[in-house]
Amino acid sequence: MDEIEQKNVEHTELKDVGYDDVPGMVLTDTNFISDFIKKTKVQDVLNWGRKNSLWFMVNAMGCCGVELLSTGMAHYDTDRFGIIPRNSPRHADVMIVSGYVTKKYLPALKRIWDQMPAPKWVICFGDCAISGGPFYESYSTHQNIDEIFPVDVFVPGCPPRCEALIQGFVELQKKIDAKKDKGTDY
Amino acid sequence: MDANSIMASLTGKFPEDIYDSNIESGIRIVAKVKPQNVVEVCRYLKDELSFGHLCCEFGADYPDRNEIEVIYIIGSYDHPVILTMKALLPRENPVVESVVPVYWNANWYERETYELFGVKYLNHPNLKPLVLPQEMLGEWPLRKDYEGFPNKTAKNLV
Repeated sequence: MDEIEQKNVEHTELKDVGYDDVPGMVLTDTNFISDFIKKTKVQDVLNWGRKNSLWFMVNAMGCCGVELLSTGMAHYDTDRFGIIPRNSPRHADVMIVSGYVTKKYLPALKRIWDQMPAPKWVICFGDCAISGGPFYESYSTHQNIDEIFPVDVFVPGCPPRCEALIQGFVELQKKIDAKKDKGTDY
Repeated sequence: MDANSIMASLTGKFPEDIYDSNIESGIRIVAKVKPQNVVEVCRYLKDELSFGHLCCEFGADYPDRNEIEVIYIIGSYDHPVILTMKALLPRENPVVESVVPVYWNANWYERETYELFGVKYLNHPNLKPLVLPQEMLGEWPLRKDYEGFPNKTAKNLV
């Protein structure tokens, strides 16, 4: 308890000092700047950078996870597209729902999703993540993950091949390039 | 020991508790047991008849007979005989003594049977759900009359 109280005290002191006095620095709590940038050509440059560095999180949730893992390995070599597997959600841009989502796992998945920094995208990988798959009408799984997460790309298959996942990434890159993705609405 | 001598020893020791016994082959024997004395029978099986390996423990629901069976499958490292032992419990209040003091690996089997069938195990060291979330406790999803399945909710059928 003492540590928490100390942290709070430090935080309030920092707030009291403030950065308003720094010349040339503007503090804002609105997304005015990002909204303005979205109207300009700067957003195209940002999207170009984002679509070519889609780091995905290694979150193997079911049997499709094996395909997910092998996609990130040397044979398919997705590094050449800038698609790099990351082990921490704090490093990742793309969350791949690669399997059934049980009722017990959904809170953990939501927490992982909250840990990822925006902009972030979701790919539904495999029939289980899309509609329930073989676990359709199961007592312990969630169907319709797209009602919970903003899904951009669905990759059907049971399981889909690694090439299908790479094509899903390519489709996601196209959506980001055309500014039709759901991930940057932050 | 062969199947006949094992079954003779078991029924000789517990004439009241073991019934409907059957010798299916030289390696498979089946018996039903009174649920009050499951622990004593299991202790006798482990100590005297060298049934040292509880392979599996699970439940089965029979709504037409109004019974829930708890089934113990017990094997051995010394002889080739596998015993299938069934305890018949009433469906309204299935309560049976835990066999964890005899077979320690029954711990998770009994937790799973508890969350899926609602069988209460007395004197279990840690009776809580194993796989299902806590809020699904009480639904007993593997009973035959369970109706909590999501009905035609998936819309993105591929």
